[in-house]
Amino acid sequence: MVTTVRHYYSVAVCYARMAIQRQLEYPLFLVSWLLMIPIAYFSGLWVLKILTDRFQSLNGWDFSQLAFIYSLGQFSHGLLVVFFITTWYIDGMVIQGEFDRLLLRPMNVFFQLVVSYVNFIGLVDLIPGTILFIYASHLVSFDWSLANILKLILIVIGGMLIRAALFICLSSVSFWTKRSSSLIGFTLNLLERTTMYPLSIYPFVLQMIFTFLIPIGFISFYPASEFLGQSSGFHIPFSMALWTPLVGIVFFVISQLTFNFGMKKYESAGS
Amino acid sequence: MAVIEVVDLVKEYMITKKESGLRGSLKSLFFPKKTTIRGVDGISFSIQRGEIVGYIGPNGAGKSTTIKMLTGILHPTSGSIQVCGISPQEDRKSVVRRLGVVFGQRTQLYWDLRLGESFELLRRIYQIDKTEYDETLRILTDVLKLSDFIDTPVRQLSLGQRMRGDLAAAMLHSPEVLFLDEPTIGLDADAKHAIRSFILEINRNRGVTVILTTHDLDDVEQLCSRLIVVNHGKVVEDGPIQSIVGKLAPKRLLVIELQHLGDDLSHPSAEIIKQEGLKIWYQFEKAKITASELISDLSRKLAIQDLSVQEPDIEDAIREVYKTTARI
Repeated sequence: MVTTVRHYYSVAVCYARMAIQRQLEYPLFLVSWLLMIPIAYFSGLWVLKILTDRFQSLNGWDFSQLAFIYSLGQFSHGLLVVFFITTWYIDGMVIQGEFDRLLLRPMNVFFQLVVSYVNFIGLVDLIPGTILFIYASHLVSFDWSLANILKLILIVIGGMLIRAALFICLSSVSFWTKRSSSLIGFTLNLLERTTMYPLSIYPFVLQMIFTFLIPIGFISFYPASEFLGQSSGFHIPFSMALWTPLVGIVFFVISQLTFNFGMKKYESAGS
Repeated sequence: MAVIEVVDLVKEYMITKKESGLRGSLKSLFFPKKTTIRGVDGISFSIQRGEIVGYIGPNGAGKSTTIKMLTGILHPTSGSIQVCGISPQEDRKSVVRRLGVVFGQRTQLYWDLRLGESFELLRRIYQIDKTEYDETLRILTDVLKLSDFIDTPVRQLSLGQRMRGDLAAAMLHSPEVLFLDEPTIGLDADAKHAIRSFILEINRNRGVTVILTTHDLDDVEQLCSRLIVVNHGKVVEDGPIQSIVGKLAPKRLLVIELQHLGDDLSHPSAEIIKQEGLKIWYQFEKAKITASELISDLSRKLAIQDLSVQEPDIEDAIREVYKTTARI
């Protein structure tokens, strides 16, 4: 067990070093991210501002609380972009037969897929998110106690796992259909819309779906409700510091089963 | 002892027949005509330790599909595979640890990075002990002459250099079995020669079993002691190379160019199939007369300016097999 962990760790470190070198080969790409990401963030924030200026509050959530929920969601999004970006391109790899090489190596295929490209450029994504979160937490007078910080970390990691699991499940569809890139775009939109607004503005059926079927609500809405003392519609016992990581792990395990099941259907590509 | 044991291997594909035009597309959307195609149709063979086997056949014969099943990439529809006594479908990781695989048309090296960087990654993936790795790399660098370009980014390597790099990458973990899928495709004569000598070297000195697919007859003749010929997903020939090439393509061509025309151009064991001015094409059977006997016979009565012997094309030979199996 220890040797396996050491083995996987050593491969991950080597891949990470290679990824940094490869990303430094294309510095202009980094610049384009530096320009685009803040624009994307502030346009998101702007929409919230307009909404609250016009309607005062969204189902009882004012601008500062909306900024809090939005920036909390962006943490797990940033980590997803850093660690799981390869899962967005599974369909291309299926069509090109690129899983062949991963299958020829004596290691877990999903592990190789994820560590083969850690997107360090994506760290840029976390900067505006962090600034926004500090600003929003100041507006809502968030209590920066040790307990709350730990809670925050658990929620962000859990949120990242939920997001990753969603992309893995949908990308695995391409083992059967060969195409799933439109599903990826759709999911990005879905996640953007459902993690930035309170779930309680949606019809009851959607709230049920985003709680029990596709547990997006656990990424930012339920945790933010708990931090801010807002009503979440459902009464969920215990803390989100427990629920979000738990739901994340369960959903992630399900996504692994889906991926492995899809892998059996993998057909490679002609010679 | 058999390193590879394949029994009744079958791989089926489902394909949907599409009709042309919008009407056809709509029709196949609602009423898809699905047909099952057998890419590999009941193949059996066994390969002994230390053999170099050429696995040949026309495009679409099922070569790559078979290799992909042997290496655990694809799952067979039915039949059994044992590589070093283990099924690659049941225990992929144990099997691939003992395999080296080179796909001529694809590289496992990282495009943007130095060649040596890819090697270091493989060292960690295969958990190769550092001293053992250094020793293997030293030998590989020596035999494949990698030292000139081991610090060059892979995207700047020539095709021949890249292929040598890929061979080294496949051999770093000292595999027992090496699969080579068209290793000399697109290479010049020098690079082909380097790669062939390397394959012979690892086979002789390290006892590595080699399975090779190729369309290059020279590869086959210089490397393989045994051929397995497949067509339409079935094994059509399996045996020593001499008997198969002799059987499939018994005829050679001798082309001579004369200084001036002689009176008697004929030879009892050869047939003139073409004549253009002073250039004459003789067809002869390798089993009946050797090329040198034919040349010395002809040179006794004719003033030969220039000559060349044309080897039969393996593709032609295989096309012959295809015709004969179709008749049955």
